[in-house]
Amino acid sequence: MTSWPMFVSTVTLLARGALVSLWLAAASTAAGTVLAVLLMAPAFSRIGLGRSAYRVFVWVVRGTPVLVQALLIFYALPALDLQTGPYIAGVIVLTLYLGALIAEVIRGGVLAIPRPQWDSARSLGLPPIALLRRVVAPLVIRYSLPAYVNVCVMAVKASSVLSIISVWELTFAAREIIERTLAVFSVLGLAAGFYFVMCFGIDRLGRRVEARLALRGFAGGRA
Amino acid sequence: MRSTLRRLAGSLAVLVLLLSTLATAVAQEKSRLDIVLERGKLIVAALSPTPPFAFTDDKGQLVGFDIDIAHLVAEALFKDPSKVEFVVVNSEGRWPAIESGRADMGVGGTTTYPDRAIRVAFTRPFIDSGISILVTKKSGIKSLADLNNEKNTVANLNNPQMADRAKKFFPKAKVLTFDTPSAEFLAVQSGRANALQIDTAVAEYFANTSKDQFDVLPQMLTPSQNNGIFMKPGDFKWWLFLDTTVGELRSGSWYPKYVEVYQKWFGKNPPPQKFYVPQ
Amino acid sequence: MLKFERWLEVYGPSYLDGLGWTAVVALVAAVAAIAWGTALLAVRLQGGRWGGRAVDAYVQLLRNIPVLVPIYIIYFGFPLIGLVWPAVVCGGLALVLQNGAYISEIFRGAYQAIDHVQFDSAKSIGLSHWHTFRKVTMPQVIVYSLPALGNQVVLLLKDTSLLSAITVAELTMHAKLLTEQTGAAYEAFVVVAVLYLALVGVFEVAFGLAGRAVRWP
Repeated sequence: MTSWPMFVSTVTLLARGALVSLWLAAASTAAGTVLAVLLMAPAFSRIGLGRSAYRVFVWVVRGTPVLVQALLIFYALPALDLQTGPYIAGVIVLTLYLGALIAEVIRGGVLAIPRPQWDSARSLGLPPIALLRRVVAPLVIRYSLPAYVNVCVMAVKASSVLSIISVWELTFAAREIIERTLAVFSVLGLAAGFYFVMCFGIDRLGRRVEARLALRGFAGGRA
Repeated sequence: MRSTLRRLAGSLAVLVLLLSTLATAVAQEKSRLDIVLERGKLIVAALSPTPPFAFTDDKGQLVGFDIDIAHLVAEALFKDPSKVEFVVVNSEGRWPAIESGRADMGVGGTTTYPDRAIRVAFTRPFIDSGISILVTKKSGIKSLADLNNEKNTVANLNNPQMADRAKKFFPKAKVLTFDTPSAEFLAVQSGRANALQIDTAVAEYFANTSKDQFDVLPQMLTPSQNNGIFMKPGDFKWWLFLDTTVGELRSGSWYPKYVEVYQKWFGKNPPPQKFYVPQ
Repeated sequence: MLKFERWLEVYGPSYLDGLGWTAVVALVAAVAAIAWGTALLAVRLQGGRWGGRAVDAYVQLLRNIPVLVPIYIIYFGFPLIGLVWPAVVCGGLALVLQNGAYISEIFRGAYQAIDHVQFDSAKSIGLSHWHTFRKVTMPQVIVYSLPALGNQVVLLLKDTSLLSAITVAELTMHAKLLTEQTGAAYEAFVVVAVLYLALVGVFEVAFGLAGRAVRWP
């Protein structure tokens, strides 16, 4: 950084980029969570086809790099003729990816509920919706929270992949600046700083929420 | 017998109904021109950073010669040059952005080649171009013959035309392929490559950033080439509008606006609008 | 739209080239990352308080930044300080640094699962720290971490696609070049996706077999 004004303009640009990355991560995590909850229906369905469809979806999304999925959706879907901007397309890509990850997290949470709990819950004679709301959901949330927070952090990191398709976010902003000014270490260092603050912050926030929600000796809380 | 006739009449009626809806659907397929006019805003794919054609300044704003041309197109459409939205793309993302309908047209130092014209349509050129080589003074390369040596590494853009020229003019040199011109320049500045291949105006822009470090080889790799606006092919109405606008900019009623933009980015006058009209 | 047989006929060799690069880079980086993770574990165990803190700081740093950032720093930045390494080396190094951090955490978890009585017995028969580490600690750590290690290696394999951003001619780069040349983005990327799935499958099977080999002596 050779001058104060240049430093200020760089930090401003990077900060704006960081906000875009955060927005991308947040929007796709929210949409991904909705998708994941919807995916629980086929995941646990009695129809074998439903369960296989779920497993195939998760296998494909987790077995291919995010970049390839992004390139496929950005470059290869003219058939849909969606006049969506790059941000919506980016959210779609991340939603599919995070949706699969979160679905596995929630599924893991459901499977972690000990058998005795299921039996006692059922013996209460509650209708299925109440069962879900009052017994299953609170347990699943507490069991999956650490892994879910992990996925939130992954969402922020995955947003940087979108820079390769010229989506303007933090990594793209950093690249633009270093291609203009050659200040590779300082600009990328600052960008790393922004990412660190975001990811570390989400992780700490997640831990606080976990601690708040933990039911001592029952569910949640860290070993 | 009568029921068969009735059935035949019925199916004929359905067929006529279907065909008529199809015909109206086909007739109503809109030209991109109408879509843009209705939308009230032009969406342009810009190959950036390709200075001085399209790049971002230190406020993060997209600027450049091609960007200003896009603003002029918006002025022609809406009488308001600001009604443009830009979508930044890299070298390989240019074509999908147009083909998928995400952008109405594209700019950014894009040269017209016949094999490209199979996939995208070009207007007539809004600026002449050509391909030059930028070298570092340190490398001691003074000509294309010097360049053709295993010791040299040349930065290219990832398109087939550049790859062909590399094979033709400097097959012995090593080639690195990047997705934007400024990435090529970064490679040269950092020492990863000692030369790069790009449009002449871009090479000159880069060389001017540091005259004692960089040079542009006098020999061009191509004859004079045409940079134009590109768009999805098949839409005659849209192409005609854009091509007419470019024609008027270059040699007709909007020549003064063209001169203004040209002066702003190249510091000199553009070619005369017609050889027989005195400047 | 889907003229796959023709497509594979013409561009198959190009894909195989990219596939080869991806597999080689992933393998070499995986081995190096495991070695680096082992080194980090050693520093944590033998380095006292500061060793542990240093490794923690390193791991926290690399976990909370996207892997593209170290890739760009090494590729674009190192030449500025005189280190001009080939793109493959730069990208591979970034992958090793990042995945090594995760692997050292996996190893740490596995280490805590080992019965520490063993270390006392090792000391009592006069084994040095280094000897204990090599012959007692690491073998068990590796065995306990195999599933998580396999997972991490798969992640590393997928991250090699990011190396296409710094001109490495692996699978994703080939797909991008093919798209640029032919416009057939759909065919180009679907084939690449299938190839990645196949590679991931191969790695998973390999780790599964390794897991079984060490569980049933």
